[in-house]
Amino acid sequence: MVANDDLWLTICGGEIHTILGENGAGKSTLMNILAGMLRPDGGRLCINGQEVTLESPQAALRHGIGTVYQHFTLVPSLSVIENVILGLDLGFVLDLDRAEQQLKSLLGDFGLAVAPRTEVRYLSLGQQQRVEIIKTLFRGSQLLLLDEPTSVLTPPEVRELFAILSQLKNRGIGIVFITHKLDEALEISDRITILREGKKVGAFGPSDLAQGEPGALAGQIVAAMFGGPTPTHLTGAGRSRQVLGPPLCTLSQITALDDRGVPAVQGVSLQLQAGEIFGIAGVDGNGQKELGEVLAGQRLVSQGQVMLAGLDLTNRGVTAAAQAGIGYVTDDRLGEASVPKLSVAENAVLKVFNQRPFSRWTVLNRVAIADHTQRLIRDFKIKTPGPEVQLSTLSGGNIQKLLLARELARRPKLLICNKPTQGLDVLTAESILQMLRTQADQGMTVLLISSDLDEILEVSNRVGVMVKGRLVGVVPRGEANGEKLGRLMLGLSDA
Amino acid sequence: MTAAQWQIFITALLSAGLIAAVPLLLAALGETFAERAGLLNLGLEGMLLSGAFAGFYAALTTQSMVAGLAAGTTTGLLLGLLFGFLAISLRVDQVIIGLGITLVAEGSTGFLFRDFYGQRFPTLTFSTAKVAVPWLSDLPILGPALFNQQPLVYLAWLLVVGCAFLLKHTRFGLEVRAAGESPLAADAAGVNVAQTRYLAIMIGGVMAGLGGAFLSVGDLNFFVPGMTVGQGFIAIAIAMLGKWQPYRVFFGALLFGTLRSLSTGLQIIGLDLRPEFVLMLPYIGIIVALIILARRTQLPAALGLPYERDQR
Amino acid sequence: MPELARLRPFVPVLSSILAVAAAFLSGALFLWLTGKDPGQAYAILLSRGLGSTLGITETLIKMAPLLLVSAGLLIALKASVWNIGIDGQFLIGASLAGILAPRLAGGVPLAGVLLLCAGAAFIGGAVWGVVPAALKVRYGLNEIITTIMMNYVAIYLTSWLVKGPFSDPSVVAPQMPTIPPEFRLPFLPFTRIHIGLLVGLVAVLLTYLMFRYGATGLALTILGHSRKAALHAGLPVNRLVALALLLSAGMAGLAGANDVLGVKGLFQGEWNPMYGLTAFALVFLARLNGLLVIPFAYFFAFLLFGGEAMARTARIPAYFVPLLEGLMLLFFAISTYLERRYRRGLEP
Repeated sequence: MVANDDLWLTICGGEIHTILGENGAGKSTLMNILAGMLRPDGGRLCINGQEVTLESPQAALRHGIGTVYQHFTLVPSLSVIENVILGLDLGFVLDLDRAEQQLKSLLGDFGLAVAPRTEVRYLSLGQQQRVEIIKTLFRGSQLLLLDEPTSVLTPPEVRELFAILSQLKNRGIGIVFITHKLDEALEISDRITILREGKKVGAFGPSDLAQGEPGALAGQIVAAMFGGPTPTHLTGAGRSRQVLGPPLCTLSQITALDDRGVPAVQGVSLQLQAGEIFGIAGVDGNGQKELGEVLAGQRLVSQGQVMLAGLDLTNRGVTAAAQAGIGYVTDDRLGEASVPKLSVAENAVLKVFNQRPFSRWTVLNRVAIADHTQRLIRDFKIKTPGPEVQLSTLSGGNIQKLLLARELARRPKLLICNKPTQGLDVLTAESILQMLRTQADQGMTVLLISSDLDEILEVSNRVGVMVKGRLVGVVPRGEANGEKLGRLMLGLSDA
Repeated sequence: MTAAQWQIFITALLSAGLIAAVPLLLAALGETFAERAGLLNLGLEGMLLSGAFAGFYAALTTQSMVAGLAAGTTTGLLLGLLFGFLAISLRVDQVIIGLGITLVAEGSTGFLFRDFYGQRFPTLTFSTAKVAVPWLSDLPILGPALFNQQPLVYLAWLLVVGCAFLLKHTRFGLEVRAAGESPLAADAAGVNVAQTRYLAIMIGGVMAGLGGAFLSVGDLNFFVPGMTVGQGFIAIAIAMLGKWQPYRVFFGALLFGTLRSLSTGLQIIGLDLRPEFVLMLPYIGIIVALIILARRTQLPAALGLPYERDQR
Repeated sequence: MPELARLRPFVPVLSSILAVAAAFLSGALFLWLTGKDPGQAYAILLSRGLGSTLGITETLIKMAPLLLVSAGLLIALKASVWNIGIDGQFLIGASLAGILAPRLAGGVPLAGVLLLCAGAAFIGGAVWGVVPAALKVRYGLNEIITTIMMNYVAIYLTSWLVKGPFSDPSVVAPQMPTIPPEFRLPFLPFTRIHIGLLVGLVAVLLTYLMFRYGATGLALTILGHSRKAALHAGLPVNRLVALALLLSAGMAGLAGANDVLGVKGLFQGEWNPMYGLTAFALVFLARLNGLLVIPFAYFFAFLLFGGEAMARTARIPAYFVPLLEGLMLLFFAISTYLERRYRRGLEP
């Protein structure tokens, strides 16, 4: 699969060049090539006029390219200065004082703003990011790659970051800023390149940005990112013409923490009707997965209530939720949703094997399990030699089909799907979406969590957008389109 | 008991405890390096025992203590390399390797001992003179206990300081700490994680071998198959309880060494407890200490031992 | 390469056999280096268990505790619970049987004595696993260290029991009172093999069935593969961990009673057959498969028996057997590496 197609980019020193694009637009691939993690299949990479090949991240560093990834590569229990000098050959005995001096003189009035001996785990995310930047500067980087740097920052921290970037720019350091956030791009960029599906679909140079009026610019960018004809295999019609049933599930003021104890879902309230497909759009990491887990009973809420058909399911656990009629297909196909080394049949009954008819008085009824699995294979056209083979021999698409089939077979009242078509080919993806549509037609409610806007627009009755744990807008399908949703996802107002 | 008797008791207890602590201390220090680098070495017990046997055999044959210590250290190093090869290069399950090495050590040392000496239990006839540190050894109670010891005990203390320095103030120590906590971050920063781990486990082996040699050559002057009685595992627990910091490990080793030598001490003051109960104390003590530590701090992964199923 | 792919289902057993072979080769090298005759040694080691009725009988007798212990360990390992405390749990069970049986003998019929001792031993063994299980469930404390510590506590505790309150005053050597022969485990008809062997076989078979056809077995297997998946499936993870540990501990205790009531007829001081680590090697080589445990248990049993014979006749110390076991574990580990390479070689 070609992620980047024939790109042509110039990055200059002393300039902030933003690469703007949606999830899957090819930004990460481009960045990984520049950072030395990936080799391009075609094309040339020139640094300072000379053609180079970057075989490894270390090679990239040697050429002066420093990368700050979204997930920080810092060692939590080491201090700031220790992290900065990690991996460098400064002598057998550590001279942290000297390293600090070197650092201070390097940064000049740029400043550290963090005490160099503090352990990294006590720093806020913004401060940690600063340490990452300092790390690259200490190694002599002339070009800084920043991958979605503001996704983990609070607004004041974003201000600080922009101030730092301006200072760095003024020293002649080139900055490549990769993001999906439009307003930030407009605020700090000297140059913007827009990617969509691996191609460059727009470019704005310094003069364009200086002269253009913000509103108009924003419109042009959004159009480039989201506008235009929808892919041919999708009808894009959604399901606005369906007649929906009575309210089924009510979420009130749900607040929940993620695995690190940070609030992931903040005060989300939602009411779902029977037979409705509700799409939750948003960039990864804005609380959608945690919201799904709350509904499925896998995650506790610190506040709020989950009601399903009159039953209070708040914090009652997975089994209670399942018995009440909730099905959950998680996005982690092989790590959480299934056990790849077990057979297809065992995975098919993973959640229900200790109930009738699959077992009686703790004895498994392997025949019933096999029959059930065969039925699933047949009804959902899952390609597999049989129910007893290892799950890992199946393709990703067929595994996904099985996971879906597994839930649908129990006739849930509410099905939560997280990224059900991720990584699947077009045909399989379409068949899965069709499955969802059919089930909804028969009265099942679907909560579809996805970062793929086209998919959401394809099947949803209503679309909600989650940003930083909040539901920032709920739009009926009839009024929703890519650009409108894009604006919401980018944090712009609903204009 | 009179004050004078108490004084004798405490001095004797501390002194014996210190000696008993040395093998624990050395093994625990070695394990500290290994675990800090991200390796769980259950073969420590085997390395300790092998060091004890190799040291005893060499010392008995050459009538030289130094030869014994050298033999023990070398044996530990070799076993450490074996563990490293299997765990780092082949990336095989560390628990299995560790138990395997311990079993091999128990089998081979027992075999060789019986083979060489039959049913006899030879002892080493030379013993090292104690060296009294001037002035310090005149302090009341603590003096004779702590500062009138074999040179190896002082060496052990120096090693504590050395390890602490190595871990905290050298590039190697920094890389060890990084490799154990975030191998991906370390790798991204250009650290050769595999090499660092190899060095760490070699240190672990060397220390365990030395500790074992001290046990048979320096302390007890004899060897019995299986004489380490789980001290290797206690050392692992001590490393954990000391949160992998050399100075804390030292105190942990001293505590458990004292518990181990308690039976002798109690006899002195005339307490007639069944010896088995006293012998149980170190092991029960470890469990109690683990419970206390677990309740006071919420260290999830760390107390679960830094054992990753697939490392880079 | 298609030929390699055809080997696929046999690979696990093949690699176990290879591991055993490699271990034997290394053992031979060791023997040769220490001036022994490997051929003679192996001849004794391997033939005594097979060559005579006595040999086969003794092997089968030795097999019994191994079967029980391995069945329990299998349950724990399938759930990824590392119960290294088997030796301690074994001794606790054995000592309980050694205490109860002589006292009950005479007053209670044979069946009663046996059942009561079995029950006490099982519960005693399980109790010995309570502390590690509780610590793991409550604090996430790794069970490896805690179970090993409990081993040593058990060794000293039972040592005190046999030398102190429950010792047999009529004998010099530390031991508990002898159990009258009519109150020990009866023999299988026409043999000198006590029914403990049947108990062991039944235990292994039940374990196999539990994992093949039981819902609990599947739950434990899922947990053993992936804790995340177990949580996703709504399984009671903590209860399963405790079950695995306590069940394996109880079975180890039962094995102890088995040995006391069947073979030794009393609980002896200074006695620790250390079946725990043997069972480890056994169970891994059997690829955690209940049915394979049986032949491997037989194999290990006649190794143990042969080892004793070897020590008596060829003056090769019996320590050779744990050495072999350790080598088998190490080569088994290496074989998993080779298997991984093989599987990757199969991928397109």
